Amino acid sequence: MPDINETINGLLGELRRGTIVIGVLSQLTEPQYGYSLVPVLEEKGVAVDPGTLYPLLRRLEKQQLLESQWDTNEARPRKYYVLSPFGKEVYEELCLEWRKLIVSMDALTAGAKGGE
Amino acid sequence: MELIDRYIYAVTQRLPEPQREDIKRELRGLIEDMMDERASEGGETREDAKGVLMELGDPNALAAKYRGFNERFLIGPSMFDSYLTTLKIVLFSILIGLTALFAIEIIVKPGDVPERFTEFIVSLFTASAQGFGWVTVIFAWIEYRKRMNASSSADMSKGWDPENLPQIPDQQARIKLSEPITGIIFTVLIAVICIYSVELLGVWRLREGERVVISFLDADAFRAYLPVVWALAALGIFKECIRIIARNRSGTLLVFHIVATVASTVAACIILADSAIWNPDFIRELEATGLFTSEGKNYDSFVSVWARVNEWFVGVIALFGVIDILSETYKWYRVKT
Repeated sequence: MPDINETINGLLGELRRGTIVIGVLSQLTEPQYGYSLVPVLEEKGVAVDPGTLYPLLRRLEKQQLLESQWDTNEARPRKYYVLSPFGKEVYEELCLEWRKLIVSMDALTAGAKGGE
Repeated sequence: MELIDRYIYAVTQRLPEPQREDIKRELRGLIEDMMDERASEGGETREDAKGVLMELGDPNALAAKYRGFNERFLIGPSMFDSYLTTLKIVLFSILIGLTALFAIEIIVKPGDVPERFTEFIVSLFTASAQGFGWVTVIFAWIEYRKRMNASSSADMSKGWDPENLPQIPDQQARIKLSEPITGIIFTVLIAVICIYSVELLGVWRLREGERVVISFLDADAFRAYLPVVWALAALGIFKECIRIIARNRSGTLLVFHIVATVASTVAACIILADSAIWNPDFIRELEATGLFTSEGKNYDSFVSVWARVNEWFVGVIALFGVIDILSETYKWYRVKT
């Protein structure tokens, strides 16, 4: 029989991967650079490793959900990302969908229990 | 720190050219931030760097994340630039080669221009399609091999070690792009002549105001070897593609170069050593032009030289092969030391 923890971790990983986008978008109403986002997300219980976050930020920028700007005033140049107007719209819509999803999932999982 | 440079290089090298600089900068900033967090009071150590790189993971995997999901490429972004370069060179040499042949044939035997122009256009299309096909097949195969290697090493990705990151090649080890370009043009020209107009290789004479060519080779007999010529051309282009992709001299590349050169030289020698491909009527046709007669004083020595012409050619081709291998080995040796 496959290891139960391993299976759960695998499935959970898949679930998380989809939700990270919403998590990241939610924190970018103010400009942030990649590494400053890591502790912010972690604090709220969404752990993302930088190796996932950095490529994701670029992808979201490519999809025009984010805008970016290099800040070269500090000793270490950093690329700051912030929600674009389009990204804001998408994020708000996504939040609505997310709530719907929670309701549906609640109904489904509760239903499964009730059916025992 | 040198380990970090190697890591960043390993990641960005697998990304499309236009994104490299930006990602390089961002990645460096990230690694420095992570180092700051880790570094003990005594400053940054190699162990800290290793820890940070281990956390970021296998450069292959990170590059794959940067490129995006659902990767299904015939030719991926890390090789697409090399692919385009090679394709341009090959198509351009085909165009030049066939146009030159067309011009030469028109000069040798004027007349029938419209019909032969159509033929020229047709062969231009077929040859370009062949060239396009071969280059694409070669690159797709390399891409496939790379992916196979990557996926087999990804299974062991838990065990990747920053110490094993490849060195950043120095500028001296770069192969000048002009070398493979010359190689490809040369290969395509030879192939075009062999495939389309082998009878043009010969002694050119003017007779009664008309040009005649007395071929060295028997075009019909040579035709049997055309598949080998195609294969040799493909091998030659393949060899240069590898050099365009690698762009850096290395021991492995040198070994590959030597193997490919030996293989193609041997094959070329085997073809040339076959006495059947040489024009059996060469001497007679040459006499018919009045260039020399059987009474001439050099006749006997010329005939005996001609009888051994294949040996001469084999010798020359083998010599070229040896010179090529020696010069490549020397260039590599100079980089090494």
